[in-house]
Amino acid sequence: MHLEPFEYEKPNSLVELEALLSKHADEARLLAGGTDLLVLVKEKILSPKMIIDIGDVAALQGITADPAKGLTILAGTKVSTIEHSAEVKEFAPALSFAAAQLGSSQVRHMATMAGNVCHGSPSAETSPVLLAHGAVLTIAKAGGERELPISDFWLAYRKTALAPGEYLKAFTLPALPKNAAVEYAFKGLRGAMEIDMVNVGVYLELEEDLETVKEVRIGMGAVGPIPYRAVKAEAELKGMKVDDAFFAKAGELAAAEATPIDDVRATADYRKKLMSVLTRRAFSAAFARIKGE
Amino acid sequence: MKKIITLNINGDDYDLAIKPTDFLVDIVRDTVGLTGTKKGCNIGDCGACTVLVDGRPILSCLTLAMSVVGKKIKTIEGVADGPELDPVQQAFIDKGAIQCGFCTPGMILSTTALLERNPAPTEEEIKHGLAGNICRCTGYVKIIDAVKHAAVLKTKEGTDVR
Repeated sequence: MHLEPFEYEKPNSLVELEALLSKHADEARLLAGGTDLLVLVKEKILSPKMIIDIGDVAALQGITADPAKGLTILAGTKVSTIEHSAEVKEFAPALSFAAAQLGSSQVRHMATMAGNVCHGSPSAETSPVLLAHGAVLTIAKAGGERELPISDFWLAYRKTALAPGEYLKAFTLPALPKNAAVEYAFKGLRGAMEIDMVNVGVYLELEEDLETVKEVRIGMGAVGPIPYRAVKAEAELKGMKVDDAFFAKAGELAAAEATPIDDVRATADYRKKLMSVLTRRAFSAAFARIKGE
Repeated sequence: MKKIITLNINGDDYDLAIKPTDFLVDIVRDTVGLTGTKKGCNIGDCGACTVLVDGRPILSCLTLAMSVVGKKIKTIEGVADGPELDPVQQAFIDKGAIQCGFCTPGMILSTTALLERNPAPTEEEIKHGLAGNICRCTGYVKIIDAVKHAAVLKTKEGTDVR
């Protein structure tokens, strides 16, 4: 197979990475796992002049849990590491679950969550969970860093808020308050190696009475050009009492805010129905988790 | 432009002249000549090209050869200890888990990685671990049997006093 030639660089430190990125901002692509990027290069959808492999940048590897700050996952951390991490299982079990649904064992050992997020696919497995967690991204470049809520990261179909020369450095999932839980639900055509028809991450936080909704977030995937929050539904659900009517209403409102298309995997109509069912189930599971059931 | 790099495959160092666009599967098969690693879909869907890099199962068709310099690469040729088959290989033979054999090297390396992390997987865990390896002869039942058998053989091997 003939590929358009590219140069290959493998920095060992953030300083080297940032220098390369600022010098080659317009022509370089970052290689994390390669399971998306190199497929696009092979299919000639992308023809970068340079590939910068971040696989050996130790400063981008790792997961830390801090009771005050929350869970920090550095951008080079492999999806399989997230899937099996004891910290992630404890503080963000829905993320561990979503990570386990991504691709195959091989893909999870190669790919990173940062790649999953930066690739910008509307059906990416980890994106709805990160939206539900209210994750904050650390975006860096030579000489500076900024923080961005993940809900502001995707701008349009496969277009992100990363400016030339910038890279995604870390995810921070704020520590969950008391009486709160996140759940993830998805539907694919088969059990593995598929692209989801619909996926959703929900955050539920209850008042002290354990029945009044204090806060909700709904992160929806594969029902629009980007993963996004159902903000109108969220506003309407706040303050409601949690019961079967609430679960049904949550599903209904999320579906109303979904804007799917017909494609090879499902019709728009079916996706809306799925969004309703999955959202209802996810809230029900989140409620059970808070109650310790 | 080609560069001379060294790849460590199955414990041996190979000095190779490669281009940035060379993928590991092609270097392993065509340049080094270890054709046990199979090239199926070439876009990361079928798992036939699976090799271990520092013990992790990866798709050599989506891995740039330059990216694995300094790492330990294991292909199917490096699984057996001389004439002595690895328990995973023996289990695939014992259970008749091989038909045409094209997926087998990838299946065996994925199994090796799975059992390394989880020495006694459930059937669901086996399916989850091998979901990225496609068998076109549809021999999954025997393959799953073989993985269960391999887990038993490996545990025995670990406790045997030799």
